[in-house]
Amino acid sequence: MTAPPIAQSDPFLDELRSILGPDGVRADKPARWNRTRVPAPFPVHRWADYAPDVVVLPRTAQEIAGVVRLANRHGIPVVPRAGATGLNDGAVPLRRGIIVDVKRMNQIREIDLVDRTVTVGPGINMLKLNEELRKHGVMFPDDPASYPCSLVGGRIGTSGWSLIGGRYGHTRDLVISFEIVLPTGEIIRVGDGGGRKIRKSSTGYQLKHLFMGHQGTLGIVTEATLELVPRPEVEFAAFFHYPSFQAAYESTGALTKSGLATLAGVVLFDEWKLRYLRRDDEAYIPQAENVRAVVATAMYGTRDEVKPAARRLVRTARESGGTYLGDEVSQGDWAARHDRYATPLHGRLRTTGQVVPMSWHCEDAAINYSALPQVMEEWHAIADRIIDRYGIFDDWGMFFYTNAAHKPWGDYLVEIDIGIWEQKLDDVNWAGWVEAKHDIAAVALKYGGSITACHGATREGDAELAAEEMGGGFEVMKAIKRVLDPNNIMNPGKYELDTAYDPNAPSPFSGRRTGGN
Amino acid sequence: MLGFLLSRQRPPEARRINDDVIMRFDHVYEVAPGKMDLFPQQDIPAWDTLRIVASRWDHLAWMHDHWADSVLGVEELESEADDPDLDGIQASGVPSG
Repeated sequence: MTAPPIAQSDPFLDELRSILGPDGVRADKPARWNRTRVPAPFPVHRWADYAPDVVVLPRTAQEIAGVVRLANRHGIPVVPRAGATGLNDGAVPLRRGIIVDVKRMNQIREIDLVDRTVTVGPGINMLKLNEELRKHGVMFPDDPASYPCSLVGGRIGTSGWSLIGGRYGHTRDLVISFEIVLPTGEIIRVGDGGGRKIRKSSTGYQLKHLFMGHQGTLGIVTEATLELVPRPEVEFAAFFHYPSFQAAYESTGALTKSGLATLAGVVLFDEWKLRYLRRDDEAYIPQAENVRAVVATAMYGTRDEVKPAARRLVRTARESGGTYLGDEVSQGDWAARHDRYATPLHGRLRTTGQVVPMSWHCEDAAINYSALPQVMEEWHAIADRIIDRYGIFDDWGMFFYTNAAHKPWGDYLVEIDIGIWEQKLDDVNWAGWVEAKHDIAAVALKYGGSITACHGATREGDAELAAEEMGGGFEVMKAIKRVLDPNNIMNPGKYELDTAYDPNAPSPFSGRRTGGN
Repeated sequence: MLGFLLSRQRPPEARRINDDVIMRFDHVYEVAPGKMDLFPQQDIPAWDTLRIVASRWDHLAWMHDHWADSVLGVEELESEADDPDLDGIQASGVPSG
């Protein structure tokens, strides 16, 4: 897809305005450049590479359908954007074109307390939604690290992971059905079968899952019907420390297999993470040297359920070598986990220990419990390599989060947090980072994992490995993409799906376009 | 009423906690100045540091309240461990941490 850039006076903009009204089309530089990036670090001198040509702010599905049909006629890329809080590049317009920003579609359309659903626009944020739902004694328990700032549409686009998914499930489990504008402009609803509020059906293909995590390559979600659960009477958070990673790892296994239904999540902190926290985190600086690894646990539910379960959980943790860190650290740290984007970030230079401003690059994968120690060692070795070689990176340690829905055992969302001195990113050390990112993803595949549990494989470095992970399934993905999006207008360049149309299509990451005025 | 006096807003003298960390207010840890040569720490008046700390606690309390009606801690569990209806921690014979 190589449509020419759209000029400010282009008649195409007038066509867009005829669909969206004058306040629904923004071609000015601030509107476009504010929607060029996501939080993941990227060299500032290359921002122009992926600036959109125009931003539209629709209010209805019909307006979006009109935009998509127009884009098909002109062969112009369309990229949906919700909160744009993703730690990969799903919302970044790799081939420029039109950004469809859904933030004005933030209405609560129906709260059904009888059948326990809420129907919303894709632009609503979960925190704001839950403030309203609280009045009715219910909640929508989708809890990403970006909880206060991400939006429902983006959660569907990435098939998001939830911190408390071990109890309540993840985004794919919590979205019952949704309306989507297809790449050719038709508006359909997908779910489990056809009913808008039906959670389980055996009719037809499971289309909801096809469009869950499509990263904007198969359309734009315009409405979603979501699960409601009772607002918890009580929250219980308990953090335990251990003298070694191995002890904490074994305790994590015992805790996650405890069978306690109210257990919402377990998080294992490795020894690198503890060294980082002891260096720079208020709660961990005063901890004794024998605090080498931590396991965080949390439960939600009625008081009658949680209280006895919490006793058993504490006993299990202690029997498996854990020492309680105290209510203040446990409760304070857990509350902060709902919002990991509010942390002011700095890192250290390995050579001098000097503090420098750093941005957070979070690499994720889904890995089985049995392979966690090996993956940890290999990922840190990769981090060590680039820290020593380039001098602008820092290893902030790893977390291992329970990853399965409704059952906190088996596989884990594994993340390594890398600090990057973003102002120093030039072409050489960016290439070094991309290579490291590729190597990190390759380790995940080597151990039978998935290269991403929640971010999506849409960023230079790991995007190239999506086909390898999918195997024969990638050919099916390409076939679906060709059928649903015959002109490749929906978020082209993602997942290397351009090769569905041309086996020799150029990578979106190697070609440069300039002129981002 | 004297109004605002900058001299009263100077933070207390720093105490060294370890090679990398100092403390001016209890439980408020700061990177040691020697580690901040490239990016010197800005001067922050006492009221602003205390405001930031208080705001953080407000935020955490708000988040707890947002997610559940109440928060249960291990200290509360242990204080009620003799409750015969519950599977008490002390009764398990496992030493507490």
